[in-house]
Amino acid sequence: MGQAQNDNQKMIWTIGGGKGGSGKSFITANIGICLSKLGVRVILIDADLGGANLHTFLGISPPALSLSDYIKKRVSYLHEVLIPTAIPNLQLLTGAQDLLNAADAKSVQKRRLLRSIQRLEGDYILVDLGGGNSLSVLDFFLMSDGGILVVTPEPTSIENTYRFLKSAFYRRLTQSVSSHPVKTLIDGAMDRKNEMGIQNPHDLIRAVRSINEEDAKRIEEEVETFHPNLILNQVRSKKDIEIGFSIRSACQKYFGIHLHYLGYVVYDQEVCQSIRKRKPLVLENARSRAAQCVTEIAAKLANSHQISLRF
Amino acid sequence: MMVNMKRIEEQTYYEILEVSPNATAKEIQRAYERAKETFHTDSLAIYSLFSEGEMNQIQTAIEEAYRVLMDEALRKDYDQSHLRNHVGEKKEKPLGPQGIPREKRDSLSFRDLAINTGEVIYRGKTLKQIRERVGIELKTISAETKISIKILEWIEEETLEKLPPLVYLKGFLRGYAQSLDLDPQKVVDGYLQSIAETKKK
Repeated sequence: MGQAQNDNQKMIWTIGGGKGGSGKSFITANIGICLSKLGVRVILIDADLGGANLHTFLGISPPALSLSDYIKKRVSYLHEVLIPTAIPNLQLLTGAQDLLNAADAKSVQKRRLLRSIQRLEGDYILVDLGGGNSLSVLDFFLMSDGGILVVTPEPTSIENTYRFLKSAFYRRLTQSVSSHPVKTLIDGAMDRKNEMGIQNPHDLIRAVRSINEEDAKRIEEEVETFHPNLILNQVRSKKDIEIGFSIRSACQKYFGIHLHYLGYVVYDQEVCQSIRKRKPLVLENARSRAAQCVTEIAAKLANSHQISLRF
Repeated sequence: MMVNMKRIEEQTYYEILEVSPNATAKEIQRAYERAKETFHTDSLAIYSLFSEGEMNQIQTAIEEAYRVLMDEALRKDYDQSHLRNHVGEKKEKPLGPQGIPREKRDSLSFRDLAINTGEVIYRGKTLKQIRERVGIELKTISAETKISIKILEWIEEETLEKLPPLVYLKGFLRGYAQSLDLDPQKVVDGYLQSIAETKKK
């Protein structure tokens, strides 16, 4: 198995939420390239069930090897299914969707996969989760070092992002508490029409406190340390850019969490052009406005040790 | 209880507007306009998140926080009765020295954003109100912008017959807006629209 050289510095980022078409794969591919240009080893993992096509964003053909080959033991080590790309320091792994979305994927199996991924030789590992909302996807999002939501300034995208965030939030809380009644309470809280009258996280915490003070404390700690990141894609005006700050305020008021507004990517015709040509934007047209936005975000991720974007 | 999980009715007015307890009137004005836009019923950023009841509660809290914090005497009373009780809670944690969330100050690309005030229409008297709340005198604006105090007064009073030709008026309005940290374009558009309506009558 590949030996990690400096385990301490390795970062696994997951990119998810929103909905199909919000630009997760585009952003994953281009941030990955920016990071690789900084001289760090980057591995991109495609776990998008609906449309695994990260390879297309990188301009390579559908890979012959995938994670399934590792899971079905056709190869012994995970690093054997890594696909090299034309870009130095950048490798691709596809097929994670098979496991992440399989109904019978056990938590043990997911953890094992995560551990294998952690042992890969790379400094930055970016996982494109696609628009999925399944428990496995949520778990992967929560188990990573940092989760990034990609949103466009449209009601559909924002609605799905809040849906994803609520699911991830309650999932994280369920995992943190020990008492069974509290777990049941949290699961029930997901449904707004629940009989307990729990409308939001604030109601939930009050209800939990009346059952189990310990778990209420644990929940508060989880809330305090849950810091998802947000990228606003396809912004067309200053007003659009402001939406990111507003989403941050809204999350603070609703969940009590601190969402980090990582940056925005402007709407740019050059993006469509580059995708059609199957040439990554940051290589094809590094001076375009969208490429500059992506580069800036990648620089922030590269410095994330200093500015704490982790969960 | 941790600061983060406070219900809206348990938050201080400073937390509600996301400003530091030593925020200036200008900062409070700015934060209020942003909060008002964020939690406006039609705001895209909160789409599908809050129920109607939750929205009403937040909107009421924002107005109340603004009303109290912009009134010097009320704010003083409020500070005395509320802030001391919360000394141990490190309310300023997420904020930088000037009351701006730290992360925002660090991200280069966000630095020069103008504030969008949504539904506020800048009539003369609105401008005057904002200016007075922020505590800036006309002579300060005049010194900053080199616009004569008389003209600034005419702008605030909407003395139509005295106002300069449109092209100059626009420039003056921009200068006025900038010295109050308002979005110049919105001030110009709103003001011109409102005087056009007055003229019709």
